[in-house]
Amino acid sequence: MSPIYRFENPDPASALPDGPLHGMRVALQSTVSVAGWPTDADSAALTDFTALEDATVVQRLRQAGAALTGLTRASEFGFGLHGSQAGEAVRNDVADAELVLDMMGECRVAAARAGAFGLLPSVGLVSRLGLIGLIPSMERCGLLARSCDTLSTLLAALAGPDGRDLTLEEAPLPSLAPLPKDGHGVTLGVIPQALEGLPAAQAEGFRAALDRLAAAGVTVRELPLPEYNLFDLVHAIVGAVEASSCAGRYDSVRYGHRPPGAKDWNEMYLSARGAAFGTCVKSFLVQGAFFQFERYAAYENACRIRARLVAAVQQLMPQVDALALPLADRVPEGATATLAETRAPFASTLLASVTGQPALALPAAGAYGALQLVGSRLGDARLLALGGMLAALCREGK
Amino acid sequence: MDFEAVIGLEIHVELNCATKLFCDCPNRPGDEPNANTCPTCLWMPGAAPRLSQAALEKAALLCLGLGSELQPLSAFDQKVYYYPDLPKGYQLSQAHLPLSRGGSITVTNEQGEARTLRIHHIHMEEDVAKLVHELEGRQPISLVDFNRAGAPLVEIVTEPDFRTPYEAMEFLKALRTQVRYVGASECSMENGTMRVDANISVRPRGTDQMNTKVEVKNMNSVRHVGDAIAFETARQSAAVQAGETVVQHTRLWDPDKKVTLPMRAKFEGPCVPDPSVPAIELTPAWIESLRARLPEMPTAKAERLVKEHGISAEDAAFLSADTDVADYFEALTAQGVTTKMALHWTATQVLPAVRERGQEISACSVTPERLAGLLTLLARDEINANAARDVLVALFESDASAETIVNERGFRQISDTGELGALIDQVLAAEPAALADVRNGVGKAMGFLIGQVMQASQGKANPKLIKELLAKKLKTS
Repeated sequence: MSPIYRFENPDPASALPDGPLHGMRVALQSTVSVAGWPTDADSAALTDFTALEDATVVQRLRQAGAALTGLTRASEFGFGLHGSQAGEAVRNDVADAELVLDMMGECRVAAARAGAFGLLPSVGLVSRLGLIGLIPSMERCGLLARSCDTLSTLLAALAGPDGRDLTLEEAPLPSLAPLPKDGHGVTLGVIPQALEGLPAAQAEGFRAALDRLAAAGVTVRELPLPEYNLFDLVHAIVGAVEASSCAGRYDSVRYGHRPPGAKDWNEMYLSARGAAFGTCVKSFLVQGAFFQFERYAAYENACRIRARLVAAVQQLMPQVDALALPLADRVPEGATATLAETRAPFASTLLASVTGQPALALPAAGAYGALQLVGSRLGDARLLALGGMLAALCREGK
Repeated sequence: MDFEAVIGLEIHVELNCATKLFCDCPNRPGDEPNANTCPTCLWMPGAAPRLSQAALEKAALLCLGLGSELQPLSAFDQKVYYYPDLPKGYQLSQAHLPLSRGGSITVTNEQGEARTLRIHHIHMEEDVAKLVHELEGRQPISLVDFNRAGAPLVEIVTEPDFRTPYEAMEFLKALRTQVRYVGASECSMENGTMRVDANISVRPRGTDQMNTKVEVKNMNSVRHVGDAIAFETARQSAAVQAGETVVQHTRLWDPDKKVTLPMRAKFEGPCVPDPSVPAIELTPAWIESLRARLPEMPTAKAERLVKEHGISAEDAAFLSADTDVADYFEALTAQGVTTKMALHWTATQVLPAVRERGQEISACSVTPERLAGLLTLLARDEINANAARDVLVALFESDASAETIVNERGFRQISDTGELGALIDQVLAAEPAALADVRNGVGKAMGFLIGQVMQASQGKANPKLIKELLAKKLKTS
């Protein structure tokens, strides 16, 4: 049994002779629907669920000639990274790229953990049809690979409206300002509040990386965002309420684990749901149910705060080419964790999850810690180009 | 103590769109169970709802038809409840930002007063699956049919403006007429394309308290809605009189026993905005282009019929209750038929004949043109009224024109004074007693003689002419 894959495609070769992704080996998670594969989101609530059709991203991978290697082991519904092998297929060179569901930063932290690059695309850029997650307004299909060039090629093949996910942006993408030739002329914004309370090593690695970039001519500006600590709150309340409301889809009734002995359908629903979800996901759902049913006003407040945070970050963007945020590059060992332990590595990734902006994980290089760049919404291509340039500057400084 | 009821209605109308609300499956709930389903309307993991533009247009047209104001921004929410007819655990409905707000319908109450009953808002939602309870041998089983799951619904929520069952029934009839006018639904309570829930509370007459309400469901005719409200009002009044407290709950109408009975509560929670269906933004230009497609509505039509045709308000209301009936009437007058004749024949002859044959007046073979041919012959006294009714039957049975039928079957009226005079002489000779009565001023005897002449002519005589000739003969003889 593979330590990385829980399902390996017996026939991964592409059906097409060429295409922009021809020869690229792409690993998926069970949170991405592939017709006929056991895409049960690694949850007992979906045991034996087999997708009826491909997710749009899978259709596009096939059309572009990619080879689908299989499903890597994931946490339940891809929520957090405990028990997840995300990034390991790329690190171990059994895949060239991975699709990793990102609800609070999973793809970005997994990329940093694997020494790879990870992109959370802008909201509305890549179809969500066929993704099986918990937080519809925040989950996106993350891309993970060894270089920004590979991510760019992959994004070009996957992005764009599909006529089926109507939350996608239909208008042409905004035209982007050309990138400066080198580090001179690049401005990064740093939110000082984002560095408060970080583990010392992470903060140090982040500062070292910024110093290295500054030495290469990059301007680093401090951009205060006093409400930064509210991203965690918004994610914890809005994310949990969305999960609690829509997890009913994963009902453990038409498929999934169903404990015996219920007297009637009502009992059967309750016992199946109680038995199917793991401890961490259940805690998240219960947290959401609490706000949905007992503190609805707090949920509405959190939605208002979210809108305010989106606007506040949007105001910062014209002053910089990207925001630079720290990024955790390790997740404590262990297949299970409490909700708090599960969420701990994602303190710095929630901003982009909440605002809908694109975010790029750059791996640590030597003494320089991992870095996260957050770009303007729909400016994904420019963000990838910028990331490629800045990563090279960091490497040259070794 | 004297109590009055405070009643609000929630009316679900199933739109007659070709497809469901969030996918392309056919909107035909009556097909073979579970034939019209896909991952979206089976609510499978990974499915993405796609709002149907056709359903949005139809729903918006319905709102305009009811005078409700379309909102520039509306959105879908997840209405959470657990029940086997909703296995995904939430229904997409517009709880926070409905499609339209306001509007009203004016009805006439039992006292003949105009009552304006207000609409609070109108929202869209997806229908849930249908549960079918059967016996498998002796074992009761429940089956789930997803053909109805995701079917497009609108819900019309009224203000608690109603005080009597009669007002509720009049409102529903008027609402049904208006929704049919815009072509959004058949609104059949029998077939479930219109479903009505009533929220009822009671209070001492003359006060303006709002007391705990009870919801009553499961009425499948307008009459049942009235009966259920009447029963529930009496039940609550008696309970309050006896010092009991009314508890908020839901009751089902039992049409056989004619009582409401409590039902088990569903678990229901507050609605959370759905992030998968984009908010609906309506521009003023879009709304205006839709308004231009709105047909003439019943009230406006009735007013115009009174003005243009000089008919009574009552007749106008009768005709405009069904746009097809009004169209038929107007098509007759456009063919030169007099207003009086067009009204009389539409209401008392054509409509019963069409219903008897299970047809629609808009599609029946006796088109206004063919009937006008018949009525022209009648107006010219070429046939009499009795014959005309027989010709109408013949028109339903063949494609021939009224003229042809009249000629071929000898329906033409005898208006030849010579021929009629001979028949009269025959009758007078045979009925000396009646003749004597007429001479003595017994009024009925004249009618008897006319009837005898008509019979002798095998119904073809011109009755006006008989009368004239008889009068002349009696005077001279």
